[in-house]
Amino acid sequence: MDVVRLEDVSKSFGAVRAVNGLSLTVRQGEILGFLGTNGAGKTTTIKMLLGFFRPDAGRVSVVGQDPGEPAARRTIGYMPETAYYYPYLNVRELLAFYGGLCGMAKPDIRKRSEELIARVGLSEAGGRLLRHYSKGMMQRAGIAQALLHDPDLLILDEPFTGLDPLARIQFRDLIIDLRRQGKTIFFSSHELSEAELICDRVAIMKQGSLVWCGAVREVAGDGQQNLERIFLKMLGGEVAP
Amino acid sequence: MKILFRQLSALAGLSVLELYRRKDLIVVLVFSLVILLPLAFFTPFGVSGASRYMNELALLLVWLFSAVIGLGVSSRLFPPEFESRTLYPLLAKPVGRGPLLVGKYLGALAASVSALAVFYVAYGLLVGIRQGVWFPAIFFQAFVLHTGFMVVVTALGLLGSLVLTPAANLTMCGLLVAGMLLFGQRLPALIAAQPAPGKWVLAAIHWVGPHLEFFDLRQRVIHDWPRVSWGVCVAVSAYALCYAAACLTLAGCVFRRKKI
Repeated sequence: MDVVRLEDVSKSFGAVRAVNGLSLTVRQGEILGFLGTNGAGKTTTIKMLLGFFRPDAGRVSVVGQDPGEPAARRTIGYMPETAYYYPYLNVRELLAFYGGLCGMAKPDIRKRSEELIARVGLSEAGGRLLRHYSKGMMQRAGIAQALLHDPDLLILDEPFTGLDPLARIQFRDLIIDLRRQGKTIFFSSHELSEAELICDRVAIMKQGSLVWCGAVREVAGDGQQNLERIFLKMLGGEVAP
Repeated sequence: MKILFRQLSALAGLSVLELYRRKDLIVVLVFSLVILLPLAFFTPFGVSGASRYMNELALLLVWLFSAVIGLGVSSRLFPPEFESRTLYPLLAKPVGRGPLLVGKYLGALAASVSALAVFYVAYGLLVGIRQGVWFPAIFFQAFVLHTGFMVVVTALGLLGSLVLTPAANLTMCGLLVAGMLLFGQRLPALIAAQPAPGKWVLAAIHWVGPHLEFFDLRQRVIHDWPRVSWGVCVAVSAYALCYAAACLTLAGCVFRRKKI
């Protein structure tokens, strides 16, 4: 079953064509790495997947529904690149707020929050205001809020940014564990090594168009190639022999 | 319905919590109480019968502070969300833009009206101490209609917060509120006295602008005049709700078209 389906999607902002005829599907339980340089159209695609705006042409569906509808977003958990959260709240209050927005009952929010706070390693900092958090801690709070309502699809925008090596490993394990639970994960990244380690497939964007999409296993199995070489080749960079 | 209620209460709760944590509300409350309460014991120039003037001054301050709080809170409802991009994770949740708008409005209104209640209690104590009359009926009517004023003012502030910066919004709404409170009642006479182009402008303000003078019972409270009928109160409150609904509908249209 396709959890994410983009069919010939285009989006322009004035004269700039941010996304150009993008067709892509993500299957249930799959981790898809969405790669590309700055301005490749990754964020625009993510915003369309979240229903922030509609495409000029083509069709976007998430779990068979239009993501512009609030009901469709019940199945989506989103973690933004930079931690855009309220600095005057602590992580428990943040999760209580987002839980309320998801329509969860208070006892469920409390139970799930404590579970997630422990899981992302913020138990000791649970009462501290977010303004006192480090970038890595904010990312952890971000993943906790994305998982709060137990979504089927996780959209992670640059999830490894600002994480120290230990947090990176923990985060990687968490993503793999989520896949084991049947969650579908769509993440954009500049981190090719991380993508190679955890993704089932990667899609490479260049100037709004999809230039390559394939299974990481195929790439890794070939001694002559790796994701970095494919990435450079697709983007027209120099490839060392 | 249950889900909508949870969403609205989460959004409203966040607005109230933000005000509390940012300490703005507490500063204004303490500031106003520090000004209001000493008036209870102050006898200007040794004139003992000056209570009416003291009451007038105190009520004027209550109106001024309440307008500042109402506009101050509502004019900051959306700009920080856009600037700090907290709107992204918010809109990624299963909440429509309509409930988001209404929830934020209710939060701003709850914060403003709770501040207003504190002001009225302080004013009631002031009058009680000075004149020995504790919380007369007209006082409650004045509070009810003043709440109607807050309903309109916060809706105006919220509408402005989607199209203007907080400073510009505060200035524009502040001028509108002051203008309508001072000249709203005289607008029909002014329209009649003006030649053609000015007449149309004033007529437009008369029909579109919020008639905030409807909510002002200060003279009745100060001079201890008889209270207005509750039917009038209901009609004026209905006017406040309709005006706020119109502002929120317009804000909803702006918010739907807003680029994120």
